[in-house]
Amino acid sequence: MRPEIYQYNYDWMLWRAIQAAGKLADGSEKETRKMMSYIPYFRKTAEVFINMGKPGISYLKRIEQYLDNIVTAHEKGKKIVMTTFCFSPSIFYAMDIVPVTLEVMTVLGSALWKRGTTDYMDYCVELGFTETSCSSQRGCLGAYLAGLGEEIDLIVTNTAGVCDTNANAFAFAQKYLDKPFYSLNYPSGLTDNPANQYHRDDFRELIRFLESHTGTTLDPDRLRAVLDETARQEAIVAEIEELQRLVPNPLPVTYNFVIYGGRFFFAGMPEYTELLTDMAEVVRDNAQNGRSGITSGIEKKRAFFFYIDHYTLNLSLWDWLDRHGISHIGSILSRSFKDDQPYMKGMEDAAYSIDTTDLDTMIDSIAMINSRMPMVRSIRGPYDRPNMWKEESLALARIYKADCLIYNGTPGCRNTWSNVKLLAGDLEKAGYPTHIMYGDAFDERVESWESTAARLEEFFTIRGLL
Amino acid sequence: MITPFREAAARIYNPHAAEWFAGGGQIAGYTCSFMPPEIFHAAGILPYRLRGIETETMEIGDAYYGPYVCTFPKCLLQLAGQGKYGFLSGAVISTGCDAMRRLDECWRMAGKDYPDALPEFFHYFDVPHKTEPHALAWFKDEIRRLITAVSNHYGVLITDENLKSAISCYNRGRELLLEMESLRAAEDVVISGTDAFTVAVAGTVMPRQRFNEHLEALVHELRAAAPEPANGRKRILVTGSINDDTDLVGLIEDAGAVVVADNICFGIRSAADMVRTDGDPVDALAGGYLSNSVCPRMFGAYDQRFANLREKAARTGAEGVILQNIRFCDMHGSENSLIEKDFEAMGIPCLKLEREYGPLTETGRMKMRIEAFLEQLS
Ligand code: SF4
Ligand code: SF4
Repeated sequence: MRPEIYQYNYDWMLWRAIQAAGKLADGSEKETRKMMSYIPYFRKTAEVFINMGKPGISYLKRIEQYLDNIVTAHEKGKKIVMTTFCFSPSIFYAMDIVPVTLEVMTVLGSALWKRGTTDYMDYCVELGFTETSCSSQRGCLGAYLAGLGEEIDLIVTNTAGVCDTNANAFAFAQKYLDKPFYSLNYPSGLTDNPANQYHRDDFRELIRFLESHTGTTLDPDRLRAVLDETARQEAIVAEIEELQRLVPNPLPVTYNFVIYGGRFFFAGMPEYTELLTDMAEVVRDNAQNGRSGITSGIEKKRAFFFYIDHYTLNLSLWDWLDRHGISHIGSILSRSFKDDQPYMKGMEDAAYSIDTTDLDTMIDSIAMINSRMPMVRSIRGPYDRPNMWKEESLALARIYKADCLIYNGTPGCRNTWSNVKLLAGDLEKAGYPTHIMYGDAFDERVESWESTAARLEEFFTIRGLL
Repeated sequence: MITPFREAAARIYNPHAAEWFAGGGQIAGYTCSFMPPEIFHAAGILPYRLRGIETETMEIGDAYYGPYVCTFPKCLLQLAGQGKYGFLSGAVISTGCDAMRRLDECWRMAGKDYPDALPEFFHYFDVPHKTEPHALAWFKDEIRRLITAVSNHYGVLITDENLKSAISCYNRGRELLLEMESLRAAEDVVISGTDAFTVAVAGTVMPRQRFNEHLEALVHELRAAAPEPANGRKRILVTGSINDDTDLVGLIEDAGAVVVADNICFGIRSAADMVRTDGDPVDALAGGYLSNSVCPRMFGAYDQRFANLREKAARTGAEGVILQNIRFCDMHGSENSLIEKDFEAMGIPCLKLEREYGPLTETGRMKMRIEAFLEQLS
């Protein structure tokens, strides 16, 4: 790694940058505009959030809080857990443990810096972690392996049997950093009794692991508060998503990204509820006035991303969609699969519910939430519900009136690259123009954003969508 | 004595399988060494470990799988689509890694496009990625589910007695493999690494009883034979990604080494794990197959695996280690780096080799690197 990269800790740098960005909008509009000329590299990303208005600023402040929690955790006597995006952080909050979520931390670096997190990705490779592994972990992981972050105390993941490449990154970190490790493991079934029993047993074992390594005991009242908050949050998300069915879609293009990002950062914390409340206000207002969330006010087409989004270079994807009048109507990451979500009608057994009657029901609930997180739920290919990814993509495309479907991922994703061609074929057969993006959501060196954008342009033009 | 093994390992449709098939026997393929073949043996069905050799083109594999995927499962799909596995009446796919797990969907889909590509009995066998008691309970359920599915589909009764006798038969094979292994530790060469690997591969694709008989005779013969002087050939341990191609070991030995031990899926990796013959056979199989964490798919168990490798290296006097991985096999690829670091710290040099699975198209490049490595050991 280049020597200058060792100058600052990754988490600290992110924290400082986001902190400064959050303050940008505190001044007058003129002052804010003036400030932009001093931050040429961060400008576009900062603008994405500032242009979102109150929810955007509030999002930046929440992320700042998340990062502040990390850099001050040890000072405050808290333990830090390295974990993954498809793991609900609620249990950590309920036990006062601070999560470092590799993938969302990689997104931050990818979106903020021109070079993204490529130096850290390459550092992983220098240490022997394969270059073909998923970049979503490698970005942030490299920094922590290089000691450029607060010391990690323990590692918890839940992707074994779902995305082995992901689980492998945490196993590598465990050995390299020599830290206690717990991996939840998911059976290929999702809805049958043995699978549900297994989820519960495995989660109880995880709690024992957390208790023994942090000296904290799970406090039922705190857990109840976190779960109640989660239920409130999902109710607001459900309302926002309902309104997303309207044509034009009242959600600004970035909202789905903020919904899932917020969930990965802060599920179960009041900060996330506040953020969602601010967003719901904007969406309601747009809906009442029949206004599109697109900046120009004209919605030309609606795209559903049936895997993840593209996070490099100033969040260019959203800018591109907005400029082209294309509504982003969500991705596999933005759905929560709670039992009362309208799109879960008819598949309640594959949803989760929240029951706060007693400690046992609460642990069962949180185990269910975890087993229904994006990816560990839909992309694992549960064989008691084969084709879940396809069925849900089609159901969501129908409900939200998609005009086309888009796959974006990373070359490291063995799981989806092992069956996205089959899926794309089926989606086309169902009548949806489907585009497979061959870039890397976190690493522009695989395909530059310019090429990615040109291919999107080509797809929308050739398929007669624009 | 080695001939029957070479015949078995050299071809997909080997003479032993062909004879079984011609006699009206059923053959069921499987993909991962965590699936107990004893179940099929107990049902009177020949368990056959699916192999990717003889792949010449990849148009079918590439049509279903995306580009960033390990070539081993792609080769299996290619061969299935081409009808090379037409002799199978069943197949079991396991959750080895992501790409192997997804073979389930890809093969099912190919079955729609290529008539007869999909065997009638097609089963998904889940394997936990850890060994805790609740994972063991799940694994037992999976084993029971497979037993029921085989019984129902083939109309056979798999009794505890059948299972116990299958376990004994497989244990006998393990004992014999271990005996052969112990001969490889000798200073002079009693059996080449290529032949030893050939034997192990053959064991996965021929009737176990027959395998045991041939191996018993081979071990007997090896014990009596005069060893071949090592003549300064370097003693190498090979580990890493899945491999069923005996030419890979041959390539290393042709470069001037003797492969004294391997730790490869298809090779002699878990022969030491005898399955209990007392008590409930399902409990015994679950414990025997899940407990040893031999593959990096068992996340977080690196120390256990490295201890196993270190013991092998010490026992056989390995002077160098070759760590190979198939491109896109991240589990073995990154674990190889950890192994390299630990062996090098012990003063045992390592060579990391990334390759494609399949006919050794990269032979020239690999040969050059192996030769350079062996020179470095001198
Ligand atoms: S390498 Fe591991 S996961 Fe792959 S087939 Fe072998 S035992 Fe199964
Ligand atoms: S070699 Fe690795 S990537 Fe390929 S099938 Fe086996 S475990 Fe999976």
